[in-house]
Amino acid sequence: MASHIKVFPFMPCGGSMEWLIKRAEELAGKHGVDYYEIRLVKVTSRRLVMSNGQLRELSSNSELGIGARAFNGTWGFSSANDRERFEKAIETAMKIAKLSRGDAEIYLGEPVRDEVELKVKKPFTEVDIEEKLSLVKEIDGLLRGEKIVSRTVNYGDSIVETFYFNSLGSEIRTVVPRIRLGFSVTAKENGEMQDFWKSFGGTLGWELIEGIDLHYWTAHVKEKALELLRASSPPSGEMDVIADPELTGVFIHEALGHAVEADSVKNGDSILAGRLGEKIAVEGLNVVDDPTLPGKFGSYPYDDEGIKAKRVEIIKDGVLVSYLNDRETAEYFGLEPNGHARAESYSHQPLVRMGNTYVEPGDWSFEEILEEVKNGLYMLGDKGGEVDTANGTFTFGAKLGYIVENGEITEPVRDVALSGKILDVLKNIMTIGNDTRVEFPGYCGKGQWVPVDDGGPHILTRALVGGLR
Amino acid sequence: MIEAVERLVKLLESENVEWEVFYQFGRSGSFRIERETLERSQRKFYSGIGLRVGLKGRLGFSYITGLHPGEEELKKLVERAVKLAKISEVPFRGFPAGERVNRVKGIYDRAIDEIPFEEAHRLALEYAELMREKKGEETLSGSLSLAVGTSGVVNSNGIELEERSTYMGVSAYAVLSEPPGTGSYRQSFTSLQPVEELERAVEKAIDEARLSARARKLEPYSGELVLEPNALASIMEVFLSNLYGDEVYHGRSRFSKPGEVIGDFSLVDDSTLPELPGSYSFDGEGTPGQRTLLVEDGTVRNFLLDHTYASFLGMESTGNALRTFRSVPYIGTSNLILEPGEESLEDYEGVIVRKVFGEHTANPVSGDFSLTVELGYVVENGELKPFKDNMLVGNVFELLRTLKPGRKAERISSFVSPRGLVEGRLV
Repeated sequence: MASHIKVFPFMPCGGSMEWLIKRAEELAGKHGVDYYEIRLVKVTSRRLVMSNGQLRELSSNSELGIGARAFNGTWGFSSANDRERFEKAIETAMKIAKLSRGDAEIYLGEPVRDEVELKVKKPFTEVDIEEKLSLVKEIDGLLRGEKIVSRTVNYGDSIVETFYFNSLGSEIRTVVPRIRLGFSVTAKENGEMQDFWKSFGGTLGWELIEGIDLHYWTAHVKEKALELLRASSPPSGEMDVIADPELTGVFIHEALGHAVEADSVKNGDSILAGRLGEKIAVEGLNVVDDPTLPGKFGSYPYDDEGIKAKRVEIIKDGVLVSYLNDRETAEYFGLEPNGHARAESYSHQPLVRMGNTYVEPGDWSFEEILEEVKNGLYMLGDKGGEVDTANGTFTFGAKLGYIVENGEITEPVRDVALSGKILDVLKNIMTIGNDTRVEFPGYCGKGQWVPVDDGGPHILTRALVGGLR
Repeated sequence: MIEAVERLVKLLESENVEWEVFYQFGRSGSFRIERETLERSQRKFYSGIGLRVGLKGRLGFSYITGLHPGEEELKKLVERAVKLAKISEVPFRGFPAGERVNRVKGIYDRAIDEIPFEEAHRLALEYAELMREKKGEETLSGSLSLAVGTSGVVNSNGIELEERSTYMGVSAYAVLSEPPGTGSYRQSFTSLQPVEELERAVEKAIDEARLSARARKLEPYSGELVLEPNALASIMEVFLSNLYGDEVYHGRSRFSKPGEVIGDFSLVDDSTLPELPGSYSFDGEGTPGQRTLLVEDGTVRNFLLDHTYASFLGMESTGNALRTFRSVPYIGTSNLILEPGEESLEDYEGVIVRKVFGEHTANPVSGDFSLTVELGYVVENGELKPFKDNMLVGNVFELLRTLKPGRKAERISSFVSPRGLVEGRLV
């Protein structure tokens, strides 16, 4: 049964929310500001970290802050976390906007009044810290093993309560719970060291933890670390690579996701500028970013500009059909606003960001894909990536892999980074699997960190492999 | 000491615990220029108080934001930290005792502290104007930020320290399309810089973008090559976690104790250098800043340590406890210096790698890395042939064994390094 997470009332400046809304209106009148938006954010978080049976961190904290923006053809922004300064932050943002007059325009739309709590089955706030500690200890125990020289377990949960209001009269209250668990081991033999890890996460409650087969996953992590010790480095050069659903996730995040963030496009920083409607990928490739997927790590109901999050088809049958946008770029490109403006915290200005990005399933089974490969690699897992959107070059890392010869998986190979060119690699996708999974939580950096998820099916493409052989 | 901290200390003195208060307050003004136009201006304020308490060998930590807490809020902060110390099981190894702190010179500039926001805003407009003047086919963007911050540590061993520092950050980014090319420049300072510094940033970014637009992929290459300081910074990032005391203690480093020979170079962490953005007089738990020889002529001599991990390892803190009021101390570098060597590399002819990216996909534990080349060039008879999109691949421990530092050092924010000659491989 679904249950609620309690919403705490905000009481900034010793006054009520109504008072702050009214005060913002007065200040806007005084400074002649047309548009402003204000976020009051309360974050409550708990974190536990254990290494080798020793607790490194156990924290439980809560804080409240304000981020205020005003628009006058350019943005003025101010933030504060001292309640005595909340009102001043609003006024500062307005004064900056007045100082800055520019000629940009933004999408305004109708005012929105809404209240959304992402529902969970079992709130982690109702699980006491002692139980979280015993979970971490249990996992630490399960990670022990021969040749395992280091073990780390990391648990975190947070509730972000946001009250957003703007000069249009929008008032939106959202409550987003987020939970994550990760564990890693380092294995050592004959002076060689390797590590392996697994992460879980979602906008979910304690049911995420209860659904994890800890015995299976801890054994898996140990087994893979030991396998890496025996593996040799992959070959180097451009070759056929099958990516597993997790690697497909980071691949599409780097190869496409960042380059379709409309702020990069508008600022002349994306190789995909001016290519809407153009065929940039193979037929049959469909790529989506959907922050409304229930329970995923990158999910959210409204973005940080008070726009409802929407599912966006980025590539449809190989054609680039949309960019991810915010109020400013939606207006600039004449696109429907799709709610992808996200800020790391109240003290950051929203930027255009991804939510949950994935490749939709095609119709190939994994076995059929494997049969296609005469000489190549099967690479798995996500070690992160990076992209130079203007040059159109990206890197993505795999956690381990196997050599594939004549459709057969043979010897294991180590973790390695791969590289490709955006405009080539999307056209080089040869087959798209039917087994899409979106369950690979992570944090994406763009000067600010936000939680995201990504995934897809097995795909077969060509990439430059940075192996040592 | 600020008033709220004084009240907190009074409350703590009546508790039967060891304690440490870390506080911060400050403000920043920053400006974002896109397509040679000032698009976003912001002014941020932050402040907060972090409290660590030690009780029966266990540590508790909690924080509040703001510097105007009521009495009740302070009492609750103490209660939370004490409660966490009771249940947390995080080992407590004591707090540092007061040692003499020598003040580092040149890390505070009144001109940054007192600049009116309007004037900083004018400087940003001037920066945008300068971009419009200098641009050719490029699209230019960049940022300018000014900040002032104060941090203080007070503990039950008698430490009572406070320090104020200032910061100025400048970045420029140039993009060419058809063929695509990008160039960037980033630098930070502790004092207000003249407009010439902004000009330099724009010029460097433009030059690099023009080079990048001409760059093609190089045929696979294996052998001697030179890494510019930017590329060396990426290589060091892959290597460095092996020198972090917590990684050493928890068995995630190649090293378990100093003494191993890893090459023929010297690497230093130094928080006492005047005017550098990574400098401080004392670290996040009040240990004096110091110059730490991490690697001396190829031999690992020390690790980056805070009080806790130094105690676990039976060593001395190196004053590398970094901190915000929201966190317990964590280990990090202050200013990292690769000492210049004997190689004359300024007029080197051959393969030179300027910038690589993707460090976080590398494996610091095995040392394997494969980094994408953002820009490199081959020099033949004084002529530059740029390349990009190759990957620089190797193992960081093997690569460092071949490293021969050049003579002339360059500073990139808090990393100071000459060029370095290595045996490397490009695919």
